[in-house]
Amino acid sequence: MYALIISHEARSLARTSMLSVLLTVLACAIAFAAWSGRNMIDRQMQGADAAIAFEAGMRDAMRADVIKYEQKIEDEGGEVQFATINHAPGSGPPQGTNAGAVGAETAAYAVLPPTGLAALSIGQSDISLSYVPVNMRNIVDVTRYSEIENPVNLATGAFDISFVIIFLLPIFILALTYGVLSSEKEQGTLAMIMAHPISLRELMTCKLITRFMILLGVVAVAGLASTLAVGTQLDNPETWMRFGFWAGACLLYGMFWFFLAVFVNAMGKSSATNGLILAGSWLLFVVIVPTLVSIVATTLYPAPSRMDLVTASREAQTEASFQYMKALDEFYYDHLELVPNAEDKARDFLTLSIANSEAIEKEVRPLYDQFQSQLNRQEGLVQQYQYLSPAIMMQQALNEVSGTSADRYEDFMGQVFDFHKEWKDYFAVRFLSKDPLVSADYDRFPEFEYRPESLSDVIARLSPALIGLFGVMILAGVAAFVRLRSYQVAAR
Amino acid sequence: MIRFVARKELTELVRDGRFHWTGIILALLLITALATGWQRYASYQDLQSSAQATSNTQWLKQGDKNPHSAAHYGNYAFKPAGPLSYFDSGVEAYTGTAVFMEAHKQNFALARPASDLNAVARFGDLTGAFILQVLVPLIIIFLGFTAFSGERDSGTLRQLLSMGVRRRDILWGKAIGIGAGVALIVVPCLVLGALALSLAELNTSAGFMARMSVLVSTYGAYAAIFLFLTLAVSAWAKSGRHALIALVGFWAFTAFIAPKAVTEISKAVCPTPAYGEFMADMRTMQAKGFDGVSPWRRIQEMQAELYQEYGVNSVAELPVYWPATRMQKLEELDHDVFDYHYNNLRQAYTDQRRLQDSFGVIAPILSLRSVSMAMSGTDLITHIEFMNATESYRRNMVAKMNGYLSKAAASLNDSFSSSNYMTADEEVFAIVPPFEFDQPTVGQALGEHTRNFVILTIWLAFAVTASVAAVDRLSTEAR
Repeated sequence: MYALIISHEARSLARTSMLSVLLTVLACAIAFAAWSGRNMIDRQMQGADAAIAFEAGMRDAMRADVIKYEQKIEDEGGEVQFATINHAPGSGPPQGTNAGAVGAETAAYAVLPPTGLAALSIGQSDISLSYVPVNMRNIVDVTRYSEIENPVNLATGAFDISFVIIFLLPIFILALTYGVLSSEKEQGTLAMIMAHPISLRELMTCKLITRFMILLGVVAVAGLASTLAVGTQLDNPETWMRFGFWAGACLLYGMFWFFLAVFVNAMGKSSATNGLILAGSWLLFVVIVPTLVSIVATTLYPAPSRMDLVTASREAQTEASFQYMKALDEFYYDHLELVPNAEDKARDFLTLSIANSEAIEKEVRPLYDQFQSQLNRQEGLVQQYQYLSPAIMMQQALNEVSGTSADRYEDFMGQVFDFHKEWKDYFAVRFLSKDPLVSADYDRFPEFEYRPESLSDVIARLSPALIGLFGVMILAGVAAFVRLRSYQVAAR
Repeated sequence: MIRFVARKELTELVRDGRFHWTGIILALLLITALATGWQRYASYQDLQSSAQATSNTQWLKQGDKNPHSAAHYGNYAFKPAGPLSYFDSGVEAYTGTAVFMEAHKQNFALARPASDLNAVARFGDLTGAFILQVLVPLIIIFLGFTAFSGERDSGTLRQLLSMGVRRRDILWGKAIGIGAGVALIVVPCLVLGALALSLAELNTSAGFMARMSVLVSTYGAYAAIFLFLTLAVSAWAKSGRHALIALVGFWAFTAFIAPKAVTEISKAVCPTPAYGEFMADMRTMQAKGFDGVSPWRRIQEMQAELYQEYGVNSVAELPVYWPATRMQKLEELDHDVFDYHYNNLRQAYTDQRRLQDSFGVIAPILSLRSVSMAMSGTDLITHIEFMNATESYRRNMVAKMNGYLSKAAASLNDSFSSSNYMTADEEVFAIVPPFEFDQPTVGQALGEHTRNFVILTIWLAFAVTASVAAVDRLSTEAR
């Protein structure tokens, strides 16, 4: 019986021109979104590659100078010496022997690799820089870079697959479902169907399953196809897992809209009224609530001001520099093994600047941490508003699944800070002990290696949104099917 | 006659329950948007002016040091909010709010509010501009889609025409009636907002009034476009339902799909480099020299010229402090490189935006959006002007510091070493005046948008013509 109804539904849907138009538009939108997602990722990778190649070129040039110098020492005899900082080209030992110069003037890039699904949801990845140059500057300087993109484009937002799912998919679902009962009733066919041994709920289930399979089939196939088209390797179990969550989120979100349409149908109004009510719900959940939340929540809980952070860290920097001799003493106190004789100590400009930057770091780091924790608290508060609209929950879920969320970036930045420390320590020690770098050292510089987050962390961040979506989906489903019980099949 | 039709239309609207509800909701949203917009604007302005004042003091009180080191210490420019940013926040969340102005480097703006906002901000802000651009057209469609189809279905159209009422009179009457209905909701909120502002005694300059009047007329034209389109479709369509579907479809396309799709297209047509690529190209050019002649060679040439100019043979004899003169020369060599790269990037951004504006031909919101941002002082051009202002400030600051040093330390030439340098104090740092930014004038802002005004005018003419044509061939029977 079910199979019969489903196949009947499918055939009658297939004969309406509406379905083919909707599916074509949906498929085109997904293809266009995949194309633009791909462009976005390509541009990012190109940026990372160019930056890394440039820095590698700088270091290679320094290394070449060192090799030449070593050759000269070997030919002419003598000792490999340590260059003083001097930018004008000269005849002494090259800058490449000076660990301070190499560590400060070239940078190592810490790269956050895109996940397999990154092209599906651009999220915040068009704002935050996914390749961070790390050198001996302080932490506030390291965190200040961001990706560049036309602000007009950023304000409009990307046409990515998330946009298609969050904005357009509900429209298609509602277009297919707004008259699911009311139109049958208006045509008089509902009473005839109900004369058969099937309950209204069973009929509705069949109708839903049919629509569901058609739409989500298209979404899943197009989603998978676009994932492949953007060059994702599916040999990675993590990518499969992420894709599974992606499909699951789409399923929950799609079901919510289907159930909402059934619920509205169950109120027994005309198709035209149903259409208006559903269009209004779409407007409310997808447009008004998110934009309202954005402005109200961020006005009630404003993010701490970066302008304040800038001036405060500058204040700290100035303070620290005023006491640079003290800073220098403290620095040597921390690095007792490196204390030179008094005169050298005062003269050495770079030692001073390293000591200075460490003193600044000590002053600035708490400010930065305070800023970050304030920011997290604010994020947490705003996050609670996501439950007001399935569209917001869906957006958070899709960003998380695609690895373009602020949280994944923050985890990455944590790793960048660790690496920053490693880099600074390596070069500062080599520099302060006046240990000249040799060409072989160039292969031993610290390198950043991204440690992927554990899946449980990802799931933990994903679950509030998914549970919320599940909740509203169940709520809409139960309400719809309870309401169906009192549905009048024929006009009274 | 037009007056009667208009009055009938308005009376009918005002008595309709749906009108009450949509009216109340829209008014509440508009008031919320303006109030939160105002609150943000005010608190941003406070933060901005205090940060700027702090930074200016920090520049002066940075402690006695070598003037060139002082230029390295530099200063920050904090971007003031656009004069009408509480109405249209434009691109402000996505441009930086602070620019570090230091020796040797032209920097991008830092501290973009968007990077500190929850991702939900990417849905857009519910600003006054958003409501007028997106929600008001929907209300117009909602109030007007039955204008003709409804009269036809209830048989009153035949009655009207049989009384000798001219079709076009019905059109004008209905346009005025519905327009008045929408104005009844929107205008009081805006007037309330404007009153609150004038009580706060802000923005009463001449530029403010000019900006306001351009905004009012552009948004008015935009609303009229939707009003006449709605009437045209209502007269054309087989039934009210068909009219509604067509109109809402067009609305969704112009409000949500077109802007994003057009953005992606403009990115593909005028590609811009990512940060890494931009910096790598720029720094490569810096090292090689703008015209392929290495900066160090240029410095040697300049040294030779200086020797000739002063008739000397060594650095020690020069009457200007050589390291400072050299640093200033290096600085100037970089100007060409910076100009080349930053101008190219900004030109590409502007080209992208212009291309998006041109697509206003299919979605009028694209043209309106640009004009609205420009008049609110929150558009791309204002940001570029601000960035240009910071760069001229930076160049002047560095030139003044190096210039002072090259004169004041001239006697140090013969004992030139890093441990032997002069220090300057607050009095010297004060020769650099504090940073100031003047918003582009209304005239400047308007010049950029001729194309948008043309597009909107064409739309309006098209909508009016279409509605007249549709009314002329309007039949009293359902087709």
